[in-house]
Amino acid sequence: MTAMALHAGPASSATETAAVRAVQLGVTLDERPVLADIHLDIPAGQYVGILGANGAGKSTLLRILASLLAPTSGTVQLFGHDLARDRGQLRARIGLIGHQPMLYRQLGAQENLEFFGRLYGVSQPRRRAQQLLQSVGLAHRAQDQVKSFSRGMTQRLAIARALMHSPDLILADEPFGGLDVPSILALEQVLAALHQRGRTIVLVNHDIQQTLAVAQRIIVLRGGRISIDRPAEQLGAPQLVAEVSRP
Amino acid sequence: MRQRAGIWVSLFWLLTAGTFAAALLRVAWFTPEEATMGVIQKVFYLHLPVAINTFLACMVCFIGSVGYLTQRQSWWDDLAAAAAKVAVLLCSIVLLTGMIWAQSAWKTWWTWSPRLTFSLVLWLLYVVYLLIRASVESRQRRAVVSAVYGVLAFLDVPLVYLSVRLMRDIHPTSITMEPAMRLTLALWFVPVTLLTAALIVLRYRLNRAGRQAAAIPAQPAQPVALRLMGDAL
Amino acid sequence: MNQTAPMSPLPQRPCCMGLRQLWALVQKDLRIEARSRQTLGLLVVLGLLVVVVLGLGLGQQQGSGFQSTAVLWVAYLFSGVLCFEKTMATERHDGAMAGLMLAPLDRGTIYLAKLLGNLLLMLAVALVVTPAGVIFFHFDLSANPLAFVLVMGLSILGFASVGTLFAALVSSSRLQGGLLAMVVFPLSLPLVIASTQILLAVFRDGRPLAGGSLGILAAFDAIFLTASWVLFEWVLEP
Repeated sequence: MTAMALHAGPASSATETAAVRAVQLGVTLDERPVLADIHLDIPAGQYVGILGANGAGKSTLLRILASLLAPTSGTVQLFGHDLARDRGQLRARIGLIGHQPMLYRQLGAQENLEFFGRLYGVSQPRRRAQQLLQSVGLAHRAQDQVKSFSRGMTQRLAIARALMHSPDLILADEPFGGLDVPSILALEQVLAALHQRGRTIVLVNHDIQQTLAVAQRIIVLRGGRISIDRPAEQLGAPQLVAEVSRP
Repeated sequence: MRQRAGIWVSLFWLLTAGTFAAALLRVAWFTPEEATMGVIQKVFYLHLPVAINTFLACMVCFIGSVGYLTQRQSWWDDLAAAAAKVAVLLCSIVLLTGMIWAQSAWKTWWTWSPRLTFSLVLWLLYVVYLLIRASVESRQRRAVVSAVYGVLAFLDVPLVYLSVRLMRDIHPTSITMEPAMRLTLALWFVPVTLLTAALIVLRYRLNRAGRQAAAIPAQPAQPVALRLMGDAL
Repeated sequence: MNQTAPMSPLPQRPCCMGLRQLWALVQKDLRIEARSRQTLGLLVVLGLLVVVVLGLGLGQQQGSGFQSTAVLWVAYLFSGVLCFEKTMATERHDGAMAGLMLAPLDRGTIYLAKLLGNLLLMLAVALVVTPAGVIFFHFDLSANPLAFVLVMGLSILGFASVGTLFAALVSSSRLQGGLLAMVVFPLSLPLVIASTQILLAVFRDGRPLAGGSLGILAAFDAIFLTASWVLFEWVLEP
């Protein structure tokens, strides 16, 4: 999988404004607190890994950052703009890769990408779709319906979908689930390449070793709160394993 | 503080019971019978106040639904649910009294007249509201779906009214009312309205208690359970 | 808060972006329908079956011409609900709806796109089912065919506007199939009542189409279309 043509251009003004700034973020769902007292300050261009046990609130946090869920307390700012107020326009700068591919099975790979391109107002969606299909190695299956794809291929297409509009902030929610080793390596490469080009990446993951290897900064969530927030080089796998598996 | 609230509640019930008794007395002994229909016509004194209160209950449900959609706080949802339950109860009474009237006036239990059809559709609208609440399991989703339905159902009411007026009213139902009859009617409004308000409040408190009981983790829940039994409607 | 640095420019959206997005959505839905080849057939057959069953039971009587409206309504109600469920169902697989919600897309645009798709499908169904009803029940439309088209058209529009909204809301509950029908039918009763009465007046009693009664249908459509659009936007926005 080539890392070329993943982005149409350099990152936009990523100097002083933090990519993500959350202040006292909290979420209560069905009268149960899922996240509480979350403070985040992620400078643009950082690669952050989020770890935690099941139910610790990792996916919920990502959904808030992706603007799919509103917090019950606190504020979120992306690139200096309030997410609640400028949601519509900020969405054009966010890309989400989840465990579900968010694709239409009866449409072809190219058709899917073009559709999302048109939703995001991408200029020349057809050309961009072709470029991305090339770089994720699916150019030979461009016209085939997604329902004929394997899990690995679907996930690669999902990545292409997330990148159609050249987002500045990439959120990945356990994207490696169910992938075979070559696909895992390829996805790691894509994220690394995006990071090299100045994109901000927030990766939620289960695999502690893998996350330590790729991220610059590690955040551990426990019971809806941040329990560890340190640069990756200061942390070791055993310490993180212990923290995550603590009841 | 508790005692003072208790005194007001007792006064309320006294007032309700008193006016109810007075209204019954009035209907039974002090109101003349209507010429054509006889005794059964007196069911009208129950029918009209209950019908008006049904509409009021539907309005409270609408307010609760709008409140929930704008504020997203659970007590609005509890209010809407309480009002809807009372609305169904009242509407059933409206339907039944309407059918009794039809039987006595036109010798048939049912006719597709505007009034009866309207009552039936209203009844269906709010029964479905209750069924929605029973069908959706997630609390938040249930609240949202019922609130949306609650808003549309209330908006539907004037449209139902307008559409049934297109139906032919084969049996016009105008009754000439003597002053004595008007007084009885006015008298009946008091206990019925008081009862409606009381029912909504009681049901609302039951809903709130149920919500709090569910939120409490496994604990000896006796006091709450007793309270629920006590307020059971 | 860092206010001294210049704000990063937000990508601006051209004014007719909404229309382009709407068209992209409708095109996507039509393409999926064309590929699956299932939905339209199902709807038409269901509608026809309803008409046939009712025809077997009711079509023998003399002067049964004006029962056609009730029969058609039953056919439309059932195939309509199925239609709304199926068009919403495409968004329920593989998290497709989340994909739409992530985009800089007004929720109202999603609603309109789904509504347009539903209306097109219902039109296709009506084109088959209505002639069938007319033939089986000897319904004579020659007096005022325009009235028939107008009345049924406005009615189906109102019905679809409510159905599209609730198809999105009740999508994930377990009693899915029955629940949507149960929710939409009572809300649509004013439409059924009004349209039946209007067509009775026009065809059985030979009266011209009254503006006032048509106004009721138009009012229903205006109120419910607006309310559904607003509520859809409100509810699907976090």
